[in-house]
Order: sequence, then structure tokens, then C-alpha cells
Amino acid sequence: MALIDLRRRIRSVDNTKQITKTMEMVAAAKIKRAQNRIEAARPYALTMMEVLENIGERVSVGQHPLLEVRSEIKHTVVILLSSDRGLCGAFNTNVIRKAEKLIKSEKAEGTKVSVYGIGKKGINYFKYTGNEFIGEIRDISDKPTFQDAKEIAEDLINRYIDKSIDKGVLVFNQFKSAMEQTAIEHVLLPIKKESVKSDDVEVSADYAFEPSDNAVLDQLLPTYIEALIYRSLMESAASEHGARRTAMKSATDNATDMIGHLTRSLNRARQALITQEISEIVGGAEAMAD
Amino acid sequence: MADKSLTCEIITPEKPVYQGEVEMLIAPGSDGELGILPLHSPLVTTLKTGEVRLRYNGEWDYVAITGGYLEVNEDKAIVLADDAEISSKIDTEKLKIEKKEIEEKIASLDHQHEEFFEATIKLEHIENKLRVAGKTKDKS
Repeated sequence: MALIDLRRRIRSVDNTKQITKTMEMVAAAKIKRAQNRIEAARPYALTMMEVLENIGERVSVGQHPLLEVRSEIKHTVVILLSSDRGLCGAFNTNVIRKAEKLIKSEKAEGTKVSVYGIGKKGINYFKYTGNEFIGEIRDISDKPTFQDAKEIAEDLINRYIDKSIDKGVLVFNQFKSAMEQTAIEHVLLPIKKESVKSDDVEVSADYAFEPSDNAVLDQLLPTYIEALIYRSLMESAASEHGARRTAMKSATDNATDMIGHLTRSLNRARQALITQEISEIVGGAEAMAD
Repeated sequence: MADKSLTCEIITPEKPVYQGEVEMLIAPGSDGELGILPLHSPLVTTLKTGEVRLRYNGEWDYVAITGGYLEVNEDKAIVLADDAEISSKIDTEKLKIEKKEIEEKIASLDHQHEEFFEATIKLEHIENKLRVAGKTKDKS
């Protein structure tokens, strides 16, 4: 390759490297913030679980529509949490693959499956493969709020209660650490009885419920769904930043390697050119001497 | 009783908002306001949008809350609210702008519209916050 071409390639790779390096640093800062948000949400979730378990001990939880397991499941909704932007490695591929597997197995049992898509990437993919949608939400994956979670929860709960859906499954990337994210599925609806009534909770006190235990339960179960969705949204956001950081780090490393190789080729080519010039001069001078 | 106090926590899904020892707490229960003093019997109740009043050292603190629950157990009162803000930290300027936007939206919507209902609730929440924001620590 000519010298000028090599120089041009090096410059271009260097520019890319600067971009990926910046994105890596931005993602690293965002992971921290997303992690803090998950931490900040923990007290609420824990206290709510405690209250819920306390109520579960007192009322016969079997009757509540959100706890009822339907014998025949006709319509399943897959709630897919993906990202709005790319350049985040296998982040979207992982959840999409997981969701696809789930859809396939549900369909094999003769169940109708719809998608509730959150994040452009997932929506685009399942639109392309021709799946039915009951909800689409874009541009919240970066910074989900509780209000977002509440709206999604309300929509799903209404559909569940009027029996147009019989099952809801969340598919999202769980945030294990900044380096590790795993795609998981979690049954959202119906609510598992164990999450309300567990054997190892000791009823610490005999609570009085106002207006009544059932009225509190009626309000608390939807809140439980909201909190669960909120948590998944945040885990997914943190995972997205984690995945992006990892992807951008390897891109930066690759760019560094590539610049190394190119620089070496450049030096070799330059050296060869000089050597050739010298031998030409020497050859010329010898020819003249005779 | 004077030396008894109650630990109060106000938590929203997004962050814990308040934690401290109080002498008394008044919350907007769905069946009417209720006051909680130390040594109250265990209780769980749903809350309406409104204000939680907290008293310590003879001063009242106000916290605007949007829906939620109150759990009282032993010497601990926990408020789980969808949204909560301490009166002194409420950004009234920002809320006034939001209020205007919502009011315009309501005016432009059909009464049967789904969003109309949502917007009215949102307006109610904003008005609640603005009302509470006006209250500062008073002696009582």
C-alpha cells in the first residue's frame, strides 16, 4: 500500500477510536448512576413485600383476580425490554433470542402470543418477523421513571382483568454486574402466590387494616406489579450501559491494535522506499564512475 | 410519653425521601386523616393524595404525597408513596409551568377522552404539591 493510503487509514481508525473511547466513558458513568437508582428503589420494594406478605397471611389470597391461575391460557403477552439505541454488543440479541424461544414454546401449545415492546430495537425486530403487538413504548429505556412503569402496569392489569390476556411474561436483561448481564424471563401475571404468601415469614404483629384488608390488597397487588416492572426497566437500563461499555471497550482495544499494525506497515513501507532510493543513487554513481 | 418518639420513613419507588424521629405524624388515610403517636398499634392503611404532617421539637414539617400506603409497626411508621416531596424542596416555578401546560391540555381535550381523565388526575397532583409548598415550618 502506498504511504498516503496507510496514513489515511491510520487517521480514520484513530478517529473511530476516539469516538468509541468517549462512548465507553459515558457508558461507564451511566452505569454508576443506573446502579444508584436500583439501590434507591430497594427500600420501597422491600417494605412493600413485607406489607404484602403480612396481608397474605391474613386474607384468603386465592380469590383475587390477579392471583388466579387460569386453567386455560389463550393469550400470552411477552413484555420485551430492549434498548432504543444500538452499539451495545449482544444486549438486544440476547433478549430477542430469549423472547423468540418463549414465543415458540407458547405457540407450540396453541396459545396466541402478542408482544408488548419497550425499546426500538426489540419492536423493530418483532415487527419485522410479523408478530402481533398490543403495546409499543419507545424512548424510555435510557431513563425509566416510575410513572412509565405505572402506565405499562395499568394497561396490562386492565387487559388481564377483562380477560383479553391470560398470562404476562417479562423478558429483560438482568444486571448482575457492570461486566455481566443475563437475559431472563419472569412471569408477571398471574402473580405467584408464593410471592404473597411465603412460609418463612413470621407474622410479627397483628395488623389492623384500613379501610379493610381486602381493600388494601386490591391496591397493593397492582402496586406490586408496578414495582416489578419499574425494577425490570431499571435493571435493563443498567444492563444496557454495561453492555455498551463492554462493547465499546473491545472496540477501542481493537482500534488500538489496528493502529499498531498499520503504523508498523507504514514504517516498513517508508524504510523500503528510502532503501530503494539509496540503492538507486549508489547504483547510478557506480555506473558513472566507470 | 414525652420522651417517646416514632421513627418515620417516607419512601417512593425512586428514592427514600425522609427519615427521622418524629413526635407525631398525621397522614391522609383513604377514610380520613389519621394521627399516629408513638406506641400506636400495628396498622396498614391506604393513603390519598395529600399532605403528611410530621412534628418534632414542636415544629411541623409538611410532605406532599401522591397516593400510597402507611405501615405502622412498633415504633416505626413507613409511608410508601408513589411520589413524595418535602415542602421546602418543592420547585414551585417548575410546577407552575407544568400546571399551565396541563390546564391547556385539559381545555383542548374532549371530556370523554381517556387522556382527559389522566390529565385531571395529574393536575390534582400538581395542585396538591403547590398547596403544600406554601406551607413552611410553623410553631404549634
